[in-house]
Order: sequence, then structure tokens, then C-alpha cells
Amino acid sequence: MSKKMFFRTICLSLLLLIFLFLSSGCYDRREIDDMAYVMAVGFDKGKTNPLRMTLQIAVPKAIGAGGGGEGNGGRSDGGGGNSSEGGNKSVTITTVETPTIYSGINVVNNYISKQIHFSHAQAVVFSEELAREGIEKYIHALIRGKEFRGSMFVVVVKGSAEEYLRNVQPILEINPSKYYRMIYQAYRYTGFTANTILINFYLKTECFCSQAVATLASVSKFEDSQNITIEGSTYREKGKEYPLVGDYTAGNIPQTGNTNTEIMGLAVFDGARMVGELDGEETSYYLMVTGEYNYSYITVPDPIDENSFVVLNVKKRRNPTKKVQMVDGKPLAYVKVDLEGDILSIQSGLNYEDPDNVKILEEWVEKFFREGILRFLKKTAEEYGTDICSLGENMRIKFLTWNDWMEFKWLDRYKDTKFSVDVSFKIRRPGLILRSNPAVSTERSK
Amino acid sequence: MNIKKAIINLLIFQEPEKIENYILKETEEEQLQSNAKKDTNENVTKNKKNKRKSNNSENSDGNDREANKGVKISNDISKSLEYMKKVYSIPINGDVIIREFNVIIKDKAIEAFAIFIDGMIDKKVINEAILKPLMLLSTFDIKSNEKDIGNYIKDHLLPQTQLKVVRTYESVIDEVNFGGCGIFIDGIDLAFTADVKGWEHRSVERPNVELIIRGPQEGFTEVLRINTALIRKIIKNENLIVENITVGKKSKTPCGLLYIKDIANDALVNQVRKRLKSIKVDYIQDSGELEQYLEDNTFLNVPQIIDTERPDKVAMLLTEGKIAILMNGTPIALVMPSNLIELIKSPEDAYIRYPYANFLRIIRLLGMFFTLLLPGLYIAITNYHHEMIPTDLMLAIEASREKVPFPSIIELLILEVSFELIREAGIRVPGPIGPTLGIIGALILGQAAVAANIVSPILIIIVAVTGIGSFAVPSFSLGFGIRVSRFVFILLGAMAGFLGIATGLFINGLWLAAAKSFGIPFMVPFAPKVSKKNPDFILRKAIWRQEWRPDYLNVKRERNQPHISRGWVKK
Repeated sequence: MSKKMFFRTICLSLLLLIFLFLSSGCYDRREIDDMAYVMAVGFDKGKTNPLRMTLQIAVPKAIGAGGGGEGNGGRSDGGGGNSSEGGNKSVTITTVETPTIYSGINVVNNYISKQIHFSHAQAVVFSEELAREGIEKYIHALIRGKEFRGSMFVVVVKGSAEEYLRNVQPILEINPSKYYRMIYQAYRYTGFTANTILINFYLKTECFCSQAVATLASVSKFEDSQNITIEGSTYREKGKEYPLVGDYTAGNIPQTGNTNTEIMGLAVFDGARMVGELDGEETSYYLMVTGEYNYSYITVPDPIDENSFVVLNVKKRRNPTKKVQMVDGKPLAYVKVDLEGDILSIQSGLNYEDPDNVKILEEWVEKFFREGILRFLKKTAEEYGTDICSLGENMRIKFLTWNDWMEFKWLDRYKDTKFSVDVSFKIRRPGLILRSNPAVSTERSK
Repeated sequence: MNIKKAIINLLIFQEPEKIENYILKETEEEQLQSNAKKDTNENVTKNKKNKRKSNNSENSDGNDREANKGVKISNDISKSLEYMKKVYSIPINGDVIIREFNVIIKDKAIEAFAIFIDGMIDKKVINEAILKPLMLLSTFDIKSNEKDIGNYIKDHLLPQTQLKVVRTYESVIDEVNFGGCGIFIDGIDLAFTADVKGWEHRSVERPNVELIIRGPQEGFTEVLRINTALIRKIIKNENLIVENITVGKKSKTPCGLLYIKDIANDALVNQVRKRLKSIKVDYIQDSGELEQYLEDNTFLNVPQIIDTERPDKVAMLLTEGKIAILMNGTPIALVMPSNLIELIKSPEDAYIRYPYANFLRIIRLLGMFFTLLLPGLYIAITNYHHEMIPTDLMLAIEASREKVPFPSIIELLILEVSFELIREAGIRVPGPIGPTLGIIGALILGQAAVAANIVSPILIIIVAVTGIGSFAVPSFSLGFGIRVSRFVFILLGAMAGFLGIATGLFINGLWLAAAKSFGIPFMVPFAPKVSKKNPDFILRKAIWRQEWRPDYLNVKRERNQPHISRGWVKK
């Protein structure tokens, strides 16, 4: 009996093994070192073909050997130093003109010795020109291919994607993939970009109640600190007298140095076509309204002393409350944002830590944010007419059937939306200084 | 002239000297059989079966024991003497000693002799307690009216704790073979056998394989009675039964079947006893052999009987309701029935506090997991599932593999096989250089292999973790099973990635779920699910919450301790 059972088990196992061989049998077995791993892929409008595809491919010799004892000569940690030459050894860049993405891959495989593999790509970069034309067909191709991860970041570059990728020269990292991962996730502590991964982007382009955004990136304008200007700042459009830290979009940040690339703000999409952009401050409000906001240092003017600033570490206290209703045939959206924060700096030296004065600061900040959020929401509705904050989700729940909702055409009506914004802000901690005192100086200095 | 002759002798052909070579010739029977086979070439299969049967019956040929069975002892001492001399092939047999002497009983001198095997007996006991009273002290005036010489000698002349009166030669021979002393007296048709065992043996030492930090440090020895005493020492209870069962037709190896009468399930005890008694083999030396005769499934990749050299572990399992077999000549006890979970337990789990014990259990499981699957998973991921590796690690692997000329499966097999080689060779290396070889093998070989670009450094880590993990398995036998199975998983991973490994695990799971150990499903309590009243499966609960004995053993007393075992806790 047991012998019979044993033979049956063996036969069954052999049979299964044979099936294994027949059905899969090593045919897709590929060694790691037979592959060339793309770290980022960029798309521009091509000259000869519809698409100009730029691939940034990791050079494992330079990345993997780093830290090893027997370095084979050219370790790439010099990458930061000679970045001005434009030749980072940890990656190699190739650009190809092609009608479609996959035919481009096929072409690249003819001159890159290893097979191109996208499973570790971290970013897909579109030029603004292409994005304004519409990137639906490319997004669909990326989503359909199983090698592309849904967690790739979708980035729109002001200017050329090829130029951007050539300028990405990580200084702190050897591995460019880590650079992308770190920089595109920095919104968690800067609030100046958002989580624009491919799968979210795709879902929002297909959604009837929400629209997509992409991280805005650019090559830095300024080569020398003497030439830095604030011409590109958005403060004038907002009626401010001077720019605050968030009043820039990528490319205009007044910075210079070895890092040539920067990200700030969001590209706003209508469907899969870019219609406008948000600067850093508006992006923070976008995060606050959607609830993705984590924390960041926010500078506001002093409520009393007009010439100085108060800096706060603002955090999300609770998820925002959003309500939408129809008033006179027009949508009315109500947004309540709950924030809290710590004081980081009070330049004027006024005692806002004092329990009596803290209200002044809190109300001032609430007003500041309320105005900002209102301005931001109005901009999305009146200027761009795209519901990037997913307010439609709060409208959709009011419908009984899908057909009713489809006929309602929320996205078309969004541009008429009126907004009412409520912000609640509480100061929790004054930091390590419990009471601001003026610096003690001698009589002479007066 | 002489030189010339020598040179010529060197060059010319010379017939080799005729040396008588020894060739072992087949016995006549075998020749006859082979002739018969040639004659009847048709229906060979039938013949084979017949041959087997006939062989079985022929096995008893020349077996003196069979012939000796039940031969009564003669009352003529010269006949007995002759018989014993013939049986023991005296004087060819050098260590069998026959001492002839006279016993004076009631002023009569009666011939007698003692037979024993030198080296297996305690000479002092024979001198003081057998020869002396029989030869000298029998002259004392003993106040007794006993007329029968046999009874008289037994009652008055042999001051022995274990003295048996036997009536057949066979039983005398059995006793003498096992370190006893046979005493024949003229004129009576019976003989005496005295237990005077006194051979050299190892004393109780620390266990060699199953080391633990906390807990008793005694291990079994090769002597059955010492081993049973070690268990009796722990379980001080009259319900602990030690049944004597002899295994091996010729070796007559004494075994002890141990169970606790009022806990162990009778049917289970009967089953073990039945299996043990049914074993027909000439010689059996070690419990490892016995295990192979007893286990349900010979081909399963995990052991179905717990083997341990720790008396405390055996005692613990006996109190759970399990059954143990101790065997003379081996320091490893067998405990049954077992299941998969039982094999990952160590006695230390009960001795240390329960959070620590659970931590150790998890580490152990992790070790098993690594040993079984890590190389396979590595192959599967690096060959099929590149997207699963963190980018940095993947680039590091790619860079380190850049100069390696082999596919990763070959690379891994080279390392795994050489590791197994080091392990196997390390056992046989003479003592003092053993550790050195280990270091040379592991360190230098690995380092050199990496430097020579034969393997990538990451693989060294994989193989090292695999090797270390296999030592974390408490059951040495299970560790073996896992070590062997991991090669299967390497091949499956190389063939079909995760699909292959999943298939392997599935088939192995089916195999285990179908297996039984002495009538108890091997995957109990998970498949089939049984009551988990005793919370000591993968993780154990606090010791005062382990109130029930394992449900699947169907023991006579299910409760281990009352609901409130810590008397000081007030309700």
C-alpha cells in the first residue's frame, strides 16, 4: 500500500516536473548580468520621428563595485566632482528617435550590448512640449508593459527631457535610482511636489471625478550666484510684494552649485494633456486639500511686525473634510483643513509663545492659509478647470446610478465651482526657547 | 659475465613464479542454484520469488540455535561439559572459560563447572560469590532439611542477587553470551545462571550532539541499564514501565520499551511493541538501524521518529504520553510517535522563560527556512524575478557577477557542493586539525574563489547563512532532510523560478500531509486540525497554561496540571 502510494507520489511529482519544464522550462531565465537596467526614461518630441526617447542606463561596474575592497580603478564617487564635464560614470545615456516606445527599445538593443530592462526604472520624464500635446498613448503603453512599474514617478520637465536626464548627476548618491527615489519623495518634508507615481497618474487620467498631476522638474537656470534673479517667481501674480520660499516653479529656484536639476511645483493635467502648472506654495495647498500633506517648514509674514517672518513647522493634524453640493446649478465645495505646528523662528522677537498671544499667531496663520487655499482652488477651477483635488469623489456619492453620474459631467462643471475654505491651525510647541527675549547689548551700540 | 647475465635476464621473458592465490569459492548450494537458473531460463520472475522463499527457509541452516532450541540439560555433568565445549568451540574460542571444581554438599563431593566469558564478567564477583561459597563455605553446617541438591544450592550456597534456575542449554548460552555465569552441577538436570556482568563501558557524560545551556547535562551511554536508570532517576514513578524486548536473531540486542502505564495509549504501546517484536534480522547494532526498521515511510525527506541522546528529553516526552525505545549499545534513544512540530522543539524550550523560548523557536524556524529555501530563492529571484531585488543590491550583484564565467546555478552548486564537502570531510579529519580545516575550507577557499572570480561574494553570504541555518535545527536528523531537500529547491528555482519553488513546496506539503508516524498524521495539529488545548506548537505559551497533553496522542490522562497550577494565585 505504502509502496504503491510512494510510486504514485513519485510519478505525480515527475509529471508535475515535466509540466514545469514544458510550460515554462527556463525559457525566460535571464541572468542579472545579462541585462542593462534603465534608471529613468525621458520622452521628447522628436525631429525625424514622433518621439525622441532618452534612456539613462545604470553602469553596475561603477555602482556595484563602490565600497568593495578591490575597486576596479574608476569608482564613480568622483562623479560629483567632475559633474561639470557632464560625464557621470555611474550611468550612461542614450537617445533614440523612434515612432513608439517599444520600437525604440528594439532599436536601442541593437547598439547596447545587454538587453534593456525597465523593471528598476524610477522615473518617466516627459518634456513640457510633449505633455501639452497629450501623453495618453505613452502612458497607456507604459501601463500595459509589465516591465514598467506602477511606482515610477511621472515627471514633466520644462525644456527637454533629454537635457534634464543628462544633467541628473547625483552628488550624494552613486546610484541614480536612489537619487530619483529620494528627490521625488522629498514632498513628504518639503510639501513642494506630490506623489505622482505612474499608476496614480494613469488612474486619474481615466477617472470621471479627478484629474492628474505630475512632478515639475527642470534644469537650473543659474550657473553663477551672481546671476541669480527672481524674475521667474510667481509672487507678482499672487499680489505679493516679495517672494516667499514657495513662490517658484522648477527652474526658477534661486540656487546654484553642482546640482543642476531641481524639482518644484506640479504640472496640471486635463485628461492626459498638460494645461498649466502650480508653484511650490500652491503645491503645498494641493497636498493639504488632498490630505497627502505630511509636514514642512512654512514661512509666513509676522502678523504685527511687517518686516520680519515667522517660521513654522506645519503638520497635518487630521485628514481634511471635503463637501460638495449644488447651489443654483453650480457646485459649491467646502474644504476644511486641520493643521498644527511648532514654532521654529520668530524674527521679530515678539512673544507669540505666550498663551495670550498664541491666538494672534494662530488666527493669522489660519487666515494666511485660508486665503492661499482659496486662491489655489480658484486657480484650478477658473484658470485650468481641472479637478486635481478629487473633489468629484465627494460629489459622486450623491448619485444613485452610474448613468446619472455620467450624465452629470462633473469635470465639465468643475470650472463653475465656488469654494468655501476653513482652516484650523493650532500651535503645539514653541521649540526649545520658551520665551523670546531680545539679545542683551551694551548702551554703546545704541 | 654476471652483469651480462643479469641484463639478459632483465630483457628476456621469464615465466612468473607460481604463487598460490586465494580465491573465495562459491558454496555448493550457490553453484547448484546458478545451474538451476541456467536450466530454467523461462519464467525467471517466478523462479526469483521461489528462490527468495527457499533462501528464507535455508537461512536457518547450520543455525545451531535452532537445533539447540529446547534441549534439556542432562543430569550427567560430563555430557553437559561436552555439549558446552562443542557449542563454544573450545578450545578454539580463547575467551570462553570453563572452570571445573568440586562442591561438597553434605559430605559428598559433587563435580561441577562454571562457564563464563572473560572480559564480560566481574572476576571478583565470580571468585567471592560463586566459587568461594561453592567450594569452601559449603562445608559449614547449614541448618536446613532441604534434600533437593538444586534447591539447596540455590537457597544456601549462591549469594547472588540475580540467580536464575534454568532447564535448557539455550537459556544458559544466552546468559553467558551477555556476561553471565553458568553453573552446572552433577546429578541434577538444571543449571544456574548468575548475573555477573562487568564489562568496560563509558561513564555518563555530557551529550555530544544535543547541547543546551540551561538544563541537565547528562547524556545516554551505551549501556541499557544505565540509560534506563537515568530515566528512572527523572521519572520517579512506579507506572514507568521498562519492557525487555530482544531484537536481532543472532545479536540478541536487548532493548527497553519505555512508557508510562497510566498515561500512554495502550493501542499505541501495542503497536510499537508489535513492530519491535516483528523485526527479523540477524544482527542489529544501533538505534539508527532500528529506526529504519520501525519508521512508517522510508523515503520521506524528514524523520518520523525523534532520536535523542538526552534522558531529560525522553522523560519529558514520556510524560506527554509518548513511547521510547532504548537499545543496548547505543547512546541514542528513539521516541515515537512524532510529528513535524515535535522535531523543531528542544528540551531547552521548557527550561528557559517562555518569551525567550519563543524567540529561540522563531530563530530556529528562520534557520530552517533559510537552509531549505534561501539558495533556491536566490536562484529564482536572480534568474526570473529581477524586479524583486532592491536596485542597489541588484546592481551590486550584477557588478560582482560581471567577471564570473558560469551561470548563477552552476556557481551556486559549486559552492554548495564544496561546502557539503568541507562538512563531510571535517567529521573525518583527525581531531586536532579539524577546526583548522574548517577555517581553511570556509575562509580561504571562499576568499580565493571570490578573488579568482569563480563565484560572486554575495553567494558566499547565501551559502554561509544556509550552512549556519542548518545547524540551528534541533533535530540532527531533520537537519539532514533539509540539507538534502535544499538541492531540489535549487534545481526547481533554476527551472521555473517562484513557480518551481511553489510547486516543490506544494508537493512536499502533500507528501508530508499524507505521511504518518505510528498512526498519527505527520502534520498534526495543522492537517488534520485537532484541538489545540496544549498550546505548545510553533510557539509555546506560559508553562502554567500548558494544561493538557497533546490531543492527537489520545492519552489516558488528558490533563497535565489543574486549571490553577500555581497554588499561590488566588481566584
